[in-house]
Amino acid sequence: MSDVAPRAPVTEDPLVESTLLEGRYSNAQLGESLLRPVLGAPGWGWWALVGLCSALVVLLVVAIGVTLFVGVGSWGNNIPVAWAFGIINFVWWIGIGHAGTLISAILLLFGEKWRSSVNRMAEAMTLFAVACAGLFPLLHLGRPWKFYYLVPYPSALRMWPQFRSPLTWDIVAILTYLTVSVLFWYMGLLPDLATARDTAKETWKRRAWGLLSLGWRGSARHWRNWRTGYLLLAGLATPLVVSVHTIVSFDFAVAQLPGWHTTIFPPYFVAGAIFSGLAMVMTLLLPARRVLRLQHVITDAHLDVLARLLLVSGLFVAYGYIQEHFFGWYSGDPYEMHAMSILRTGPYAPAFWTVFTCNVLVPQLFWSRRLRTSPAVLWVAALIVNVGMWLERFVIVVSPLSEDFLPSSWRHYAPTWVDLSLLSGTVGLFGLGFLLFLKLLPPVPISEVKQLQDELEASERFARDVVAKARAPGGGA
Amino acid sequence: MSRWVLGEFRTSEQLLEAARALRARGFTRMDALTPIPVEGVDEVLSLPPSGLPLLGLVAGVGGAGGAYLVQWFTQAVDWPLDVGGRPLHSGPAFIPIVFESAVLAAAGALFLGVLVACGLPRLTHPFFDVEAFRSASIDGFWLAVPVDDDAGRDAVDSALRGLGASQVSLAEEERP
Repeated sequence: MSDVAPRAPVTEDPLVESTLLEGRYSNAQLGESLLRPVLGAPGWGWWALVGLCSALVVLLVVAIGVTLFVGVGSWGNNIPVAWAFGIINFVWWIGIGHAGTLISAILLLFGEKWRSSVNRMAEAMTLFAVACAGLFPLLHLGRPWKFYYLVPYPSALRMWPQFRSPLTWDIVAILTYLTVSVLFWYMGLLPDLATARDTAKETWKRRAWGLLSLGWRGSARHWRNWRTGYLLLAGLATPLVVSVHTIVSFDFAVAQLPGWHTTIFPPYFVAGAIFSGLAMVMTLLLPARRVLRLQHVITDAHLDVLARLLLVSGLFVAYGYIQEHFFGWYSGDPYEMHAMSILRTGPYAPAFWTVFTCNVLVPQLFWSRRLRTSPAVLWVAALIVNVGMWLERFVIVVSPLSEDFLPSSWRHYAPTWVDLSLLSGTVGLFGLGFLLFLKLLPPVPISEVKQLQDELEASERFARDVVAKARAPGGGA
Repeated sequence: MSRWVLGEFRTSEQLLEAARALRARGFTRMDALTPIPVEGVDEVLSLPPSGLPLLGLVAGVGGAGGAYLVQWFTQAVDWPLDVGGRPLHSGPAFIPIVFESAVLAAAGALFLGVLVACGLPRLTHPFFDVEAFRSASIDGFWLAVPVDDDAGRDAVDSALRGLGASQVSLAEEERP
């Protein structure tokens, strides 16, 4: 439990199973409990994790160096598997990012109150995941220093990008997604940076947060414009989530290759992205909640609703698998049927059935309410789903490429140490980014949680008044 | 020289009441400075409606149009490249980039728009010279009333205290 003593317990309400805020606090206390992770000194666990992640980042730098000096030939992909780890990791990372935007933007539009406690961490996760994702297409270019060829700048060679190619769509989509995510995140941070500035005791911290908060004073004019702008940005980010992963799926779907050339891909990819992202949110949120003692704002109600979302998006993903195989069979096309059968019984069967177990069977646990609110079960399940979703991308990318139309050109794929280092290195980069975020910026939106408490108290007061009126002599209907 | 009298209240209800009362006594150009947005304060202070939605719309349409123009000009006019006899002006293939550019332009314009509308970024502000004003982002609900001279200052001071302000301070800005 959290170590802030609540000012008052929550009013007993038989209709509410678990509330979004355990206990009621004064605004100052609430703010302090949420700023504690930032104001205090980091513990040994934080340093240990930073050390581990930094080691992985060093590995990443080495692998990038090898890729640049030796060339993409140091990777395991070749003809016919011309796409492999580079694109798998890209799709996996960018998918992880999507749940962050889903939680923060779509739920804001729908007026879901529970988002307030978790959205900041989810958005931070999005930023680092998208940054990791962006690395892979860049390195896959072979000559990353010429990436600007993808931008329509007026060169003397009159060499324009080919805008009918999904790869140019990709770069616009990723850059837009990254930019909009940063803007949305920073906008949401402004009031909390001001709170951090005003709570901090050290001058240098006050100055640093003061610069970042851009002079926020919480004036009525500020709040009015901020709320309008934030809501509009959420409205823009919402279709962006769907469009970005749709465009990523076009990389595959517009090809003629059996197993890729299918219309189910855009929604199937979007569902998978949200599924994997939710799993990653829980992977990060559950330990952070415990270590930073945030149980009073991230309650059982939050775990419950996240687990439900994981279950629902898992069912969408399962539907995608069924559709994929059904249409492979229903097409009557021998090539399509082959692409699907190597998954079920061929060389990729072990990978495919692992994917099926991780992504379809494991989420079924969460039909049980007891499991939905058990942090340990949730965390392990989320880890399994993360692995399953990575393997799913592996199966999607590699299997159709390795056995396509012409049996004489079939060849299977194995990653090299550079591939594996790039993958684990980005995990380290992602972890390092998230750890620094937890230490430098308020991990839970303070002003939004205060506002939530304000609203909860107002509705409790209202309920008490109604009851009192009904009980009063001569009152009530 | 600009001057404000700042009064701190403990709750948003007290702040709203005080703002209404001062409004009724003829004070205008007031501002409320609060840790959370207070419902109804916009009406009491009669803030103008926000122009941000229109800004976002214009920027979004501009971004979309610009992206379509660039793609059409480069692919169909300036350097036509025949790939398997496909149409040069291939509208449907341009849509993904048109959509993304619309979102990018609108989001960028909205972000800058919010900053401009709020008068941010701003390194200093006379309010920050008041040490107690630090509570405005934590748990204090402040009302700022601009005053012209000492007489007005005293009047606002006593009015704020009468309305239940827990403390009253003066903020001044020297104009060069």
